[in-house]
Amino acid sequence: MEPVTQATSAAVGSVIKPPKSQSPWALARRKFFKNKIAMISLVFLIIVTLLSIFAEPLTIPVEETAKINLTQMSKEPSAEHFFGTDKSGRDVFARTLHGGQTSLLLAFSITIAVITIGSIVGATAGFFGGWVDNALMRFTDFMMNFPFLLFVIVLKSIFLESSTATLIFVISVLSWTGTARLVRSKVMAEKENEYILSAISIGCSPFKTITKHLLPNVMSTIIVQATLTLAVMIVAETGLSFLGFGVPMNIPSWGNMLQEARSPDVLTSKWWIWIPPAAVLTGTILSINFIGEGFKDAFNPKSNR
Amino acid sequence: MSVNTQLHKDAPLLEVKNLETAFSIDGQYYNAVDNVSFSVKPREIVGIVGESGCGKSVMSLSIMKLLPKGIGKIKSGSIHFEGVHLEKMSDKEINSIRGKDIAMIFQEPMTSLNPVFSIGFQIQEVLFNHMKISKKEARLKSIALLKSVGISRPEKIVDEYPHQLSGGMRQRVMIAIAIACQPKLLIADEPTTALDVTVQAQILELLKDIQKVNDMSVILITHDLGVVAEMCDEVIVMYAGKIVEKTDVDTLFHDPKHPYTKLLMGAIPRMDEDVEVLSSIKGIVPSLKNMPKVGCKFAARCPQAMPECTSITPILAETDEGHEVSCLLYPTSRPREGVLHNEYRG
Repeated sequence: MEPVTQATSAAVGSVIKPPKSQSPWALARRKFFKNKIAMISLVFLIIVTLLSIFAEPLTIPVEETAKINLTQMSKEPSAEHFFGTDKSGRDVFARTLHGGQTSLLLAFSITIAVITIGSIVGATAGFFGGWVDNALMRFTDFMMNFPFLLFVIVLKSIFLESSTATLIFVISVLSWTGTARLVRSKVMAEKENEYILSAISIGCSPFKTITKHLLPNVMSTIIVQATLTLAVMIVAETGLSFLGFGVPMNIPSWGNMLQEARSPDVLTSKWWIWIPPAAVLTGTILSINFIGEGFKDAFNPKSNR
Repeated sequence: MSVNTQLHKDAPLLEVKNLETAFSIDGQYYNAVDNVSFSVKPREIVGIVGESGCGKSVMSLSIMKLLPKGIGKIKSGSIHFEGVHLEKMSDKEINSIRGKDIAMIFQEPMTSLNPVFSIGFQIQEVLFNHMKISKKEARLKSIALLKSVGISRPEKIVDEYPHQLSGGMRQRVMIAIAIACQPKLLIADEPTTALDVTVQAQILELLKDIQKVNDMSVILITHDLGVVAEMCDEVIVMYAGKIVEKTDVDTLFHDPKHPYTKLLMGAIPRMDEDVEVLSSIKGIVPSLKNMPKVGCKFAARCPQAMPECTSITPILAETDEGHEVSCLLYPTSRPREGVLHNEYRG
């Protein structure tokens, strides 16, 4: 009986690959790919990201997007300027793409920084507990006390030579606290499982126990948190730039572009100046949130979607 | 009997002396294991029995130094293993012993395997931790180990994930991980409690076989006297962090001396007797905070308690050869003049 089944399965195996053992990761990935809204969002986000990355070959170099052209002021969309031009005669299409580059770069960098700092602090505090936990968490509380907006404005004025890098640094330093708390609580719950004890009991060092055994098990939480942070950071950049405290004015970003909509004239009668960045911004944030939801569902063994 | 005398000649593999492990509650330390001494000889299976909360698990965690940091600590006493003092070792030093010379199996097979790694990975990890071994060798070895713990189709199981296995299979995998480096001592903390009865018997059988093949000592922690009768050479009965009786398995079952042991025996269901209601021991183990400081800790629940039981602390002493009891019913347990309490003789 046995050799027969083996032979058949081998024959079938050569045509269709037999189902490999599914790790929880593979299961989650499959579930995620089945989620239509998340997949549409992912495709949208990838398109926006690619367009932003290739802004220069697709349109004009970044220096030219800042150049004022008095002959082309406030032109409506046309074949020459797809999205028209703004009040200073700058091409809105090129600025939207280059703006995306700035906004996305900023958001991705801040997210990576925030998740890294937050995970290290949270995992260390949660795993070791005791005074380590106490010290790290009081420091986290301390960092949480700073009012975000005021502090960014103050720090931005301290660093006179304000650049995108400064902004990334300032926002990162202020935003990791939520992630740290979340990772800490997740780690504390997860370390009670006996597999952590058994990892220690076979001679794994604390570092190895955290990185190899604990982190993969809280990774789902961290990934979901990362996507949500990404969306929040795009909003933060846009909000700060809109207020004039964000990205320097000579660099296009979605926030800087939306700033123009502050004038009633633009808002009411020159829609092409602010609708494109606003639409792309909304679409990006929505799609990131849908992807985050998709991750959450995929990692949740109880959801059947 | 000849086997027994043979055993007595060997120097003990593990020797625990006057061990006190304390847990901090509201900033104060309370003893969960109170002045416990025992030894494990090579190739011996020692059973530790007692109710929930009597300090069995805490003792096993103390030996492996796995006590929760900042909450539990070894207050005093020594744990001697093959000439080294485990209690004095740094975390780094003990890491080279954990999994290699002393291994442990836990109670809950459903949670003691890491859900994100394959079975093979988890067996290979302990090999990589303690041996210089190539990936290919490790894989072959892990398949051989799975086979030795009675898992059919080990070539397939090695690539599967814990969620695909049943409780009994997971416990087999845990045993495979524990014996991977051929430890000299295996601590099994209620290895069969979470399994159903038929699987329990298989796992116990497996443990016994492996103990014989690998020539290792086993500390078997359980609350099931049936398991003890099946498996052990020596038995230690614990109550509220103290050893109340210590002897070999035959003596314990034929001549239990401590009232607590007798009551435990009475709580085993029997096929040959027509009893409708199982007997139980009234009351619960006192919590760490409410532990009586003087006298026998079992006095409040003991049917044979005498007035002096709450004022004199009995000591663990030999009543017959190889049979130690800590109860005032036996004159040997009465502390000598001038010695108040907590003294361990011998």
